[in-house]
Amino acid sequence: MMLLPIFLAIHAAEDDTGLVARMQRRDPQALAELYDRYGRVTYSLILRVVRDGGIAEDLVQETFLRVWNRVHGFDAQKGSIGPWLLAVARNRAIDYLRSAGGRERNAVEFEETDHPALYCDMEKDLLSADKARKVKSAVEKLTPNQRQVIELAYFEGLSQTEMAARMGQPLGTVKTWVRTALKNLREDLGAVVSA
Amino acid sequence: MNCNELRDHYELYAIGVADEPERSEIRAHLNRDCEVCMNGIRKAREVAALLGGTAAPMAPSPRLRARILASVGVEQRRFGWAPFLAAALALSLFAVVYFAGRERDLGNEIARVRDINRQQTIELTRVNEAFAIVNGPDTVVTTFGEGEPKPKGKVFVSPTQGVLLIASNLRPAPSGKAYEMWVIPNGGKPKPAGMFQSSAEGSAMHVQRGSMQDANTIAVTLEPEAGSDAPTSTPLFAAPIRALVP
Repeated sequence: MMLLPIFLAIHAAEDDTGLVARMQRRDPQALAELYDRYGRVTYSLILRVVRDGGIAEDLVQETFLRVWNRVHGFDAQKGSIGPWLLAVARNRAIDYLRSAGGRERNAVEFEETDHPALYCDMEKDLLSADKARKVKSAVEKLTPNQRQVIELAYFEGLSQTEMAARMGQPLGTVKTWVRTALKNLREDLGAVVSA
Repeated sequence: MNCNELRDHYELYAIGVADEPERSEIRAHLNRDCEVCMNGIRKAREVAALLGGTAAPMAPSPRLRARILASVGVEQRRFGWAPFLAAALALSLFAVVYFAGRERDLGNEIARVRDINRQQTIELTRVNEAFAIVNGPDTVVTTFGEGEPKPKGKVFVSPTQGVLLIASNLRPAPSGKAYEMWVIPNGGKPKPAGMFQSSAEGSAMHVQRGSMQDANTIAVTLEPEAGSDAPTSTPLFAAPIRALVP
């Protein structure tokens, strides 16, 4: 998985606290600034999932509208809006992919991860350039199979059962790859994510 | 299942791809506020957020921003040449109007200055003529109207250069009327010697160039503004000068 310095674009010098407060006061200009700050990374993530520019743009629009409509539940004093925005973006994209492929939607988890309050206790600089380098390093250390299962899970929204069917591998093997990949990422990113 | 058995599934649950029965088990732990699982899921969401930024950077179309803002009721101005062309056209029109106005103003100003200059030239000529008469070696002075509330003043007559009349207490002529000076020769008819007006203060100066060799009396009457060939009213004053001419 290629990790590019896209984090540089999303790591704003000014924190998002004021931006969120203005959005909560329904200042449309704040939404414009949020888009200027996170629009590219959001589009890149969604495009990586759906692989169609037009659909990706529709989903980016849905993402920002969803954030705009739910921002009142976000406590800007406790975290950055970036991780929540990316979670909403990924969920929109995976949801589209599952619907298009006739797959079952994991609606409950999506609703949970869409909820802004779950992202309020994250570090404000979680998406910093420094942490981006560490993520890149951690992902590059994974074996090809481990990297592939992480990509299938994150960018295609496949469960382990679905991965096994896609890869033509025994479910147990896939679970081992997933478990090992996540363990390695967890260990390498232990200092990155909050303790 | 206990928390230790679920920990390998936190990340999958966080991104919505956990299988059963782990998915239901984690949800159950979260529903009963299991601190271990809540903390594990929080970290898993952070890992998911970090992975979200690993996609290759791509740029959406510039229209997307406007679409999003329009969907919340913000009208964005579309970038294009039209505003610039409109602005350039407006600027050009403004420049045409502005400079045409400036040219017209400048023309008016030049005409006004020329008029002032012409008036000043006339005044200067009159003053020079007056000085020439006053300073003439053959000039004689006649005073008229002294001790009277009527018009009074002086008449300077140079037999060779002309006559200068300086008067006061001469109220401005009524509308359509003007004062006319007459040179009356000895035993002859009055000759017109020019029209003039008095100021609001009642003062007047009038110069008439020409030979005054046969002048006997200088008189002033109130005449129609266009002037008369012969007096049509009683003289306001008449200054005899013949005796003073050498």
